[in-house]
Amino acid sequence: MKFESFCIEFNRWRTFLKWSLPLCVIMVVILPGTGWSQHDHQSKPNSAPVMGTPAVSFELKSLEGKSVGLAGFRGKPLVLNFFASWCDPCRDEMPLLNELASKGVKDGYSLIGIAVEDTRAAVAEYAREAKLTFPIALDLNSAVKRSYRIFGPPATFFIDGQGVIRDVVLGPITPERAREAIRRITIGSKAS
Amino acid sequence: MKVLRSGRRISVLHISVFLIFSAYSADLAPQSKPRPALDFTAPIAIGAGRANPGAPFLRFAPDGRLFAIWTEDRIGGKTKNAAAHHGTGKMAPSPLRDALLAASSDGGKTWSQAKHINSVAEAIQSEENGPKVAFTADNRAYAVWSIPGDKGDKTRANIRFAMEDNTGGFTAARTLNEVKDTARFPIIEATPEGALLVAWIDRRTDNPKPRQLYLMRIGADGKALTANYPVGEGLCECCKLGIAFADVGKKVYIVDRQVNDKQVRNHVLRKSSDGGASFGPPVEISDDGWQVPSCPHSGPSIGRDRRGWLHVSWFTLGRSEEEAGIYYSVSKDDGKSFAPRQLVQVNTAPEILYSNLAVGDNDFVYLAWSNLDNSGKAQIFLRSLAPDGNTWSPVQQLSNAKGNASRPVLVTRSTQLHVAWTETNGEDSSIVLRSAAVSQ
Repeated sequence: MKFESFCIEFNRWRTFLKWSLPLCVIMVVILPGTGWSQHDHQSKPNSAPVMGTPAVSFELKSLEGKSVGLAGFRGKPLVLNFFASWCDPCRDEMPLLNELASKGVKDGYSLIGIAVEDTRAAVAEYAREAKLTFPIALDLNSAVKRSYRIFGPPATFFIDGQGVIRDVVLGPITPERAREAIRRITIGSKAS
Repeated sequence: MKVLRSGRRISVLHISVFLIFSAYSADLAPQSKPRPALDFTAPIAIGAGRANPGAPFLRFAPDGRLFAIWTEDRIGGKTKNAAAHHGTGKMAPSPLRDALLAASSDGGKTWSQAKHINSVAEAIQSEENGPKVAFTADNRAYAVWSIPGDKGDKTRANIRFAMEDNTGGFTAARTLNEVKDTARFPIIEATPEGALLVAWIDRRTDNPKPRQLYLMRIGADGKALTANYPVGEGLCECCKLGIAFADVGKKVYIVDRQVNDKQVRNHVLRKSSDGGASFGPPVEISDDGWQVPSCPHSGPSIGRDRRGWLHVSWFTLGRSEEEAGIYYSVSKDDGKSFAPRQLVQVNTAPEILYSNLAVGDNDFVYLAWSNLDNSGKAQIFLRSLAPDGNTWSPVQQLSNAKGNASRPVLVTRSTQLHVAWTETNGEDSSIVLRSAAVSQ
């Protein structure tokens, strides 16, 4: 009886191994050649900030060398624009951003530009040349750009007074799109 | 009873698995055992720290000396004012820079005093578009670089050329592109018969056509042997080119990134069998389907081993962010077709990565690239691929940048392997070199 049980057990495992072993061999021998087994090094970080989630906190230096951080805007809606002085689409939307910054003064929101992949000299010169009216922070080591998961500038985040992202525009922004996004972050503020 | 039965089942499983896997283990080991990591020297800095050295490129001269060419900001040189030289105020200013060249006779341990290649400071482009150098058989150096056009436009730039003179200095730089403000991303190679081949991306036909691949042949005396001539079109306008030679210069292989009317950017190989006079149609290396309306400053790299296999690496975002990373492929039929791509390392952030490869005299392929480390800083990583085409070394992190490390270049010869890159921290940059001994 005991021997019979052993035989039954053994045959079960032998059948299991008969099928599973070739699969193991395939995984070990064939998959490395496909390349998809090679990513044993680093894993993807969390996905991009999404609407409805808190904006990632940051602390940077402004063009003038002063500290600029997300916390400083808490309680007030914020338009956060990532740009670079060498980026043509960014330059194209700067007149619109200047206009939005001016409107923000009376409509109760702030606008800040974060220069990425750039140098202080180039950004300072461009800010003078384009007569930018809003504060500019320098993300010289790309840390903030990476925490917001931006592939490249321009990108604009619309953050409400509670620090929650309410809209994101990756790439150039149109006046209509900007107005709609600003409406979203200012509605709550005006109501309160 | 149940406990006993369960214990017996586990025992049988363990014994069975052990016996069967033991029997197979000898076969599996050669495939799965990773190669050991290379033993690299401590980092060495190249260039004058206060002048923001960057964009290194490495090359061995025929006499065995290791050369590095790079850019440095001209101290006291003013930044070119964008508004002053561009009526529409479109382009960012470019710092005035120098191109420098230094040599090492002891495998990268010590370096000669750097020579200035350009006598007049120019807005020499750096980063992915930095200066390149090649050597003829008599160890004479020839350099190319790119400068923005008169209006400061970096995308409508000019290719500059200078060569070592007989006094230890360099000739005055001259522009190679015959149509002004049309060329960028130059590469230069000494052909086996002693001439120089310069290639670049050209936009003289301009929009809406994608860019063209232009070549020019220059004699060892610096005189033009040919006019500028086109050999291909459909190129992405900001793609570093890669080049390799074979069969005593008769065969020339150039890799670039194509862009189609749907803005899909796949990498291709172009092959010449007449010394670069003409090229066949582009052969797609991999259908990555990278659709992007912008223009990523990253390009492919190519090397050829003694068996004639063509090894290529590149960065692509692929069809989704999940696919993004550094890839590798090989052609074993002289560029007629390529094996399915292999992922070398996945991209850990939505960011353009930069890769380069070099093929050793031992037929090993060495790949270096930039990617983010666990703290979110860009660092330099390296892997090697054994001649069997399957056995990869583990990923080695070569840099430990406080800010970011990027755009690695590497060169190998005999038992030497050297990797250099640019490190940036805030507004400062530096060049770091590390070396390793490799088996022959």
